[in-house]
Amino acid sequence: MANLTPMIDVTFLLIVFFVVVSQIVDLESVDLELPAPEQPATHLPVEEPRAVVNVLPGNEGRSRGYKVAGREYQPTPEGLAGLRDALVLLYQSTPTMRVNLRADRYTGYRWISPVLKVIRQAAGIADVGLEGASLNLVVVREDA
Amino acid sequence: MSTGEPRHEAVDLPPVRRRVREAPAIGLNLTSMIDVVFLLLIYFMVATDFKQAEEVYRLDLPERVEGMSVDPFQLDDEPLRIMVRSTGPGDEEYRIHIDGPWGEVADFEGLYEFLDSRRLDGMGGGLFAEDHPLVVIPGADTRWSDAVGAFNAAVRAGYLNITFEEISS
Repeated sequence: MANLTPMIDVTFLLIVFFVVVSQIVDLESVDLELPAPEQPATHLPVEEPRAVVNVLPGNEGRSRGYKVAGREYQPTPEGLAGLRDALVLLYQSTPTMRVNLRADRYTGYRWISPVLKVIRQAAGIADVGLEGASLNLVVVREDA
Repeated sequence: MSTGEPRHEAVDLPPVRRRVREAPAIGLNLTSMIDVVFLLLIYFMVATDFKQAEEVYRLDLPERVEGMSVDPFQLDDEPLRIMVRSTGPGDEEYRIHIDGPWGEVADFEGLYEFLDSRRLDGMGGGLFAEDHPLVVIPGADTRWSDAVGAFNAAVRAGYLNITFEEISS
């Protein structure tokens, strides 16, 4: 009779890996239809400290809010202030972090511009330096 | 002489078979567990495969210090301003206008060719250095994909100092 113990060990390790990875992905990313530009001059994301800001899509090009580290913020002045405070805390703990901005391809720019402003302000409040905030605009390669 | 005692003759009897009760094998039946484990594994592997390859553009948002005095002799170059508007629901429905004497270009490929042909090539040709500031100005209702399309054209053309203009609240 074959000894199945190592196979079961490996299989369980794989399951734990996939469960943990899928939970991390769910925490950071929201199911969005990211922009897919033609002939994208993009980079592969580098392994570095980062925060992920998701612009949650709403109806007809609107946004229903923003999501950072599993927490949602309304697209109102109060919500944006909360988003800024959250980003300030993240910048204070990791001044060299980059912010990954993920937004749906059909979302209007009026919902994304405030996020750019908030990120810039948060970097300024946390005093990360004159270089300011470093962003990654996240898109998807459809030819990949 | 007879002793009167019965004679015993050796008879070959079959050996007595003792039924030895074997101890029952103690063990777990792992088959169903392995079935479930493999189903879970296949589920997670398939679900993970659905994620698409995400890539990024790198962009800096420098701090704006209000009230900071600027040496007029160290003013940056006047940025090249690229306006993008979505004009309809279709992916191809957008307009691009380049501020200044250049006017409109037909599409993102046209924008790329415009920017690429005017970039300084080090041999006396071109108009803008690769670090010349470019500002992409999407309208309030411009789709994010169109804004990113214009940004992509500028990155493809080799420019390094590209940013988005924020909508003033």
